[in-house]
Amino acid sequence: MAPSKDTLFRSADMSLTQLYIANEIGREVVSALGELGVMDFRDLNADTTAFQRTFTQEIRRLDNVERQLRYFHSQMDRASIPMRSIYDFNNPFTSPSASEIDELADKSQSLESRISSLNESYETLKKREVELTEWRWVLREAGGFFDRARGQTEEIRHSMDNDDAPLLRDVEQPPQNSEAAGDRSFSVMNIGFVAGVIPRERIAAFERILWRTLRGNLYMNQSEIPEAIIDPETNEEVSKNVFIIFAHGKEIIAKIRKISESLGADLYSVDENSELRRDQIHEVNTRLNDLASVLRNTKQTLDAELTAISRSLAPWMTIIKKEKAVYETLNKFSYDHQRKTLIAEAWAPTNSLGLIKSTLQDVNDRAGLSVPTIVNQVKTTKTPPTYFKTNKFTLAFQTIIDAYGTIKYREVNPGLPTIVTFPFLFAVMFGDFGHGTILFLAALAMIYYEKPLSRSKLDELFSMIFYGRYIVLMMGIFSMYTGLIYCDAFSKELPLFPSMWKWQGEDGTGPEAVRVDNYTYPFGMDWRWHDTENDLLFSNSYKMKLSILLGWAHMTFSLCWSFVNARHFKTPIDIWGNFIPGMIFFQSIFGYLAFSIVYKWCVDWVAISQDPPSLLNMLIYMFLQPGTLENPDAPLYHGQAKVQVILLMMALICVPILLFLKPFYLRWEHNKARAMGYRGIGESIRVSALDDDDEEGQMLNGGRESFGDDEDGVAMITQDIGAGEHEEFEFSEIMIHQVIHTIEFCLNCVSHTASYLRLWALSLAHQRLSIVLWDMTMNIAFSMTGITGVIAIVVVFYLWFILTVFVLCVMEGTSAMLHSLRLHWVEAMSKHFMGDGMPFEPFSFKTLLEEEPIE
Amino acid sequence: MANGWSLIIGLAFIVIFCIVSWFAAPKGENQTVWRSTLILSAVACFLMWAITFLAQWHPLIVPRRLDLRPEHEPSRRF
Repeated sequence: MAPSKDTLFRSADMSLTQLYIANEIGREVVSALGELGVMDFRDLNADTTAFQRTFTQEIRRLDNVERQLRYFHSQMDRASIPMRSIYDFNNPFTSPSASEIDELADKSQSLESRISSLNESYETLKKREVELTEWRWVLREAGGFFDRARGQTEEIRHSMDNDDAPLLRDVEQPPQNSEAAGDRSFSVMNIGFVAGVIPRERIAAFERILWRTLRGNLYMNQSEIPEAIIDPETNEEVSKNVFIIFAHGKEIIAKIRKISESLGADLYSVDENSELRRDQIHEVNTRLNDLASVLRNTKQTLDAELTAISRSLAPWMTIIKKEKAVYETLNKFSYDHQRKTLIAEAWAPTNSLGLIKSTLQDVNDRAGLSVPTIVNQVKTTKTPPTYFKTNKFTLAFQTIIDAYGTIKYREVNPGLPTIVTFPFLFAVMFGDFGHGTILFLAALAMIYYEKPLSRSKLDELFSMIFYGRYIVLMMGIFSMYTGLIYCDAFSKELPLFPSMWKWQGEDGTGPEAVRVDNYTYPFGMDWRWHDTENDLLFSNSYKMKLSILLGWAHMTFSLCWSFVNARHFKTPIDIWGNFIPGMIFFQSIFGYLAFSIVYKWCVDWVAISQDPPSLLNMLIYMFLQPGTLENPDAPLYHGQAKVQVILLMMALICVPILLFLKPFYLRWEHNKARAMGYRGIGESIRVSALDDDDEEGQMLNGGRESFGDDEDGVAMITQDIGAGEHEEFEFSEIMIHQVIHTIEFCLNCVSHTASYLRLWALSLAHQRLSIVLWDMTMNIAFSMTGITGVIAIVVVFYLWFILTVFVLCVMEGTSAMLHSLRLHWVEAMSKHFMGDGMPFEPFSFKTLLEEEPIE
Repeated sequence: MANGWSLIIGLAFIVIFCIVSWFAAPKGENQTVWRSTLILSAVACFLMWAITFLAQWHPLIVPRRLDLRPEHEPSRRF
């Protein structure tokens, strides 16, 4: 039997497959399957920790290579060398051989050591340069201190020699011999000094600490270095100060040294002799020059090396990432030591089995191995994962559904009708031809520039819109249509056809209109309703009924899928116990309401000169006083009261059926099966004394079947499949479940129908808002005349257009989209969606690279 | 020109459109998507049009103007 084609209507048919792979080609096989991306491997070593698995060594090695590559990348970022984009390569997805991987690992190892040694020497040189620069500043600034201080040595001396000297003497008669004494050294006076640099923010603390510890016995001088010093380790700019401290006595100098070092100051030696100092400065300058040229050379070499790496870094990263994924997958396999075989289990779409087999054959042939890779289909009771093959058009719509819940395997996929209903319900709320056109054009632009946009980095909001570009396209198309129906384009009318209304009065101006005989406006709303006094009265009534009718149609449509589901899963009780009573209940109340709305429209009430009955009151009376009408003289149709009583009875009868039929049927079926001697798996009731020992043995084994030994991988796997996923029959649970379902269904019929009124509310709000916007901007501009009028129109037009795009299209569009989303998730999907499936997560290099893109 | 028959004609047109799109949908793995999208779109658009048409078929109120000069406006409510 050929498997049926996979469509979006149901999830793809899946099979559990077992692969027996020769150990030698395990890596190649998995890598080929990763390119295919159709197999969801099950973890057969779930109870082994990550460290105990077979290929942990390889993964560690690749982790190391990956770390090295990331190191290159960060180095390139620091040197601002761009990486060659992955998209510039023709085919980066060819799988490399094992020896190529080894080569790559060795290469990156040697490159890493080279880069890091280059970096190290660069950093050392840089540090040296900073030190020299600081020293130069100290020499320069300290020189100034010395020159100033020297001028005062004499006074210092004098003041120290005779304490009783008058304080004001030096003011009155400046010392004459200062020049002569200038060369006299400080050391003569036993005054020592410390010079260095310190970060500027620490200078205040530094001063305070020095002052306190030395009790003021110091003379400190400092000045700011005008240029910022770059810290080679952190690459940050630090502004620093040069300081020089004079103090008396060796111990004190040592203390000052200690304090300044502990505060992070760098001390430099400065000679007090100005001649020597000049030499020092000279020397520092030459050394700085030498260093600069060496630094430049190192930097050039480093950059050249990094540029060479940058050319091929992207494919390397891709290769390593893939390789790591391959080994992580191989770790899920069980290894048969005796036969040197790897055993894998995977879910795969049945339709892809042929492709898988031929791929494996290719790998085998390439390796020249005589032992073939065996693909086995395994029968199992496990529920397969849900998989839909989507394309770029359907992907976003399917994502809407998947965001709510994973669809059960082979259940009807609500994603298929969502392609139309989601944008359509959006458009009912967003109906405006102009705004629809803007959406449509924006979506077209995004689709046209799909490739460049998908490769560039987008911000979060825009990337979300870009992801849903085909949804936006459909929304735009349907909004244009509903805009035509509502006869709105940027809140202005669209007179496509002659109106069905003529203004009354002698000069044809109104105030009231009369109908053109026997003519109804053929497409959409009549444009004559625009700007009339009572257009809201008409459009509210119309849109309210429109939303009820569309809601009824949408819910009936969704309810029908539960029938299709029950047919497919062969559970007729769901048809008789859920679908049919539910459908009758819903139709006899809300189907009748929909019918009444249409019927009331079809009758020409003016012609038969009768007051039309109010439908809302009719529905209320139908429940409160069955059999009577609000106005018995003017029924909607003949025999209305009787029909309503019958409908109400039908709805009421359906409630107990909905409530009891399914649980009692299930109980009857269960009891019948038990009476015939069937038992559930794992039910521990002793049937005979002979089984006694076996039971005991099983209980010892944790209630599971014996596991078999580790050597026998096959046995272990098949045992594992049977376990789990068997539920015991519990009547009370089913009953409670059904009670909840019934109450929910009946109440939801009311609340969900009311919920569709949001279609009316939002479309009304959208229309009013666009009218207000037009009146507040363009209308005012049009009323001006002359040159001011021209300028005003231009300015106001831009204002109006920007507000239209951002408020009416983006903001209102988002809100309409969210409401449409809710109508799908809650109102429609609650009617049929089961959604307890597992998502299919195939091992695929493509998704792997999409999830963690290499930029 | 446009009267009750329009509804029937419109319905017939949509039914024909649906039948045509069922058979003319491009073959291949996207056939289901084509079919469901075309048919559902047609039905949804028809529903919208038909409801709007029905609402105006036998209208119970007539448009009243708001923008007339005061001497033509017998009952200004402002």
